[in-house]
Amino acid sequence: MKSIIICMAIAATTLAACNNSNNKTAENKSSGTDTAQAKPQAENVTATTPSVADTKATVSIKEIVTAYLQLKNAFAKDNTNDAATAGTSLESAFKTFDKTALSADQKKAFEDVEDDAREHAEHIGKNGGNIAHQREHFVMLSKDMADLIKTFGNGGQTLYKDFCPMANDGKGAIWISEVKEIKNPYLGSKMPTCGTMKEEMK
Amino acid sequence: MRRIVKKILLVLLVVFIAIQFIQPARNASNQVLPNDISKLVKIPDSVQVLLKNACYDCHSNNTSYPWYVNIQPMGWLMAKHIKEGKAVLNFSDFGSYTNRRQISKLKSIVNQIKDDEMPLSSYKWMHKNARLSKEGKDLIIDWMNKTADSLSANN
Repeated sequence: MKSIIICMAIAATTLAACNNSNNKTAENKSSGTDTAQAKPQAENVTATTPSVADTKATVSIKEIVTAYLQLKNAFAKDNTNDAATAGTSLESAFKTFDKTALSADQKKAFEDVEDDAREHAEHIGKNGGNIAHQREHFVMLSKDMADLIKTFGNGGQTLYKDFCPMANDGKGAIWISEVKEIKNPYLGSKMPTCGTMKEEMK
Repeated sequence: MRRIVKKILLVLLVVFIAIQFIQPARNASNQVLPNDISKLVKIPDSVQVLLKNACYDCHSNNTSYPWYVNIQPMGWLMAKHIKEGKAVLNFSDFGSYTNRRQISKLKSIVNQIKDDEMPLSSYKWMHKNARLSKEGKDLIIDWMNKTADSLSANN
């Protein structure tokens, strides 16, 4: 009888352990990206006296923009694993963004984008190996980023809004770039220069 | 040797019986909540039926359970799938998403169906009703795209 009880206990623990092991892999990835966000948030220090009229100068979304551009460049090189890493850093850039300096309206505008963009970034981070699926989310993420930059400025560097009519199954899609020349993140090496610059985001 | 095998089988049986008593809570609100997608946009019956059969078991607050939910660990697996499914998309709570997110969700659904990622193949294997025909897919995709456009126009 005693041995039966012991066996039961072992079986129960094994069952429980099986259940938990599944979700670990995705979480482990995020630990490697810490260095990317470790930079001090010097930009936000100046934001102690926020004036509503002058959003772009007081709040900087530089870390978010940097992580997005990393992601965009990974896609331009057809590199699904780098894209996954950049997606995860973008997600944490959103997470660590300091919202305390934002006015109520700004906060609302930021959270509207954050809510959606974080999910896309997270998804891209978790789907290394499936670049087609990652790029589907990048279509929507890029639109979010364009809206975010419109409200909060370019984070200190001139950015360009590009458009490729062939991306997104022929429906067309935009992306944000830090360089004037076209480097298409949707088609990558297949058609690296497909697209046109639509807007300079100063 | 034979005695050990017998013992092991007995233990497994005891464990199997024991876990039957651990029943997860059911996902069944049995009502249409104010945030349900059908309160936000008009869904044609033809689309509604497909959504109900192919999506709602894991992406709404009302799962239509098969008999084997009562047998563990099947019920546990189902509960886990439903929890994960609802976390990323819940048609019963669609109205609580921001406008931007609603549009994103609809576009993501189109992508998932087009890429044959959803419904999950393991789910389709057990649920004949959830298998979408080419026409069914087109019907959903078309409606999702149109709805996404109308939601964008509203803002």
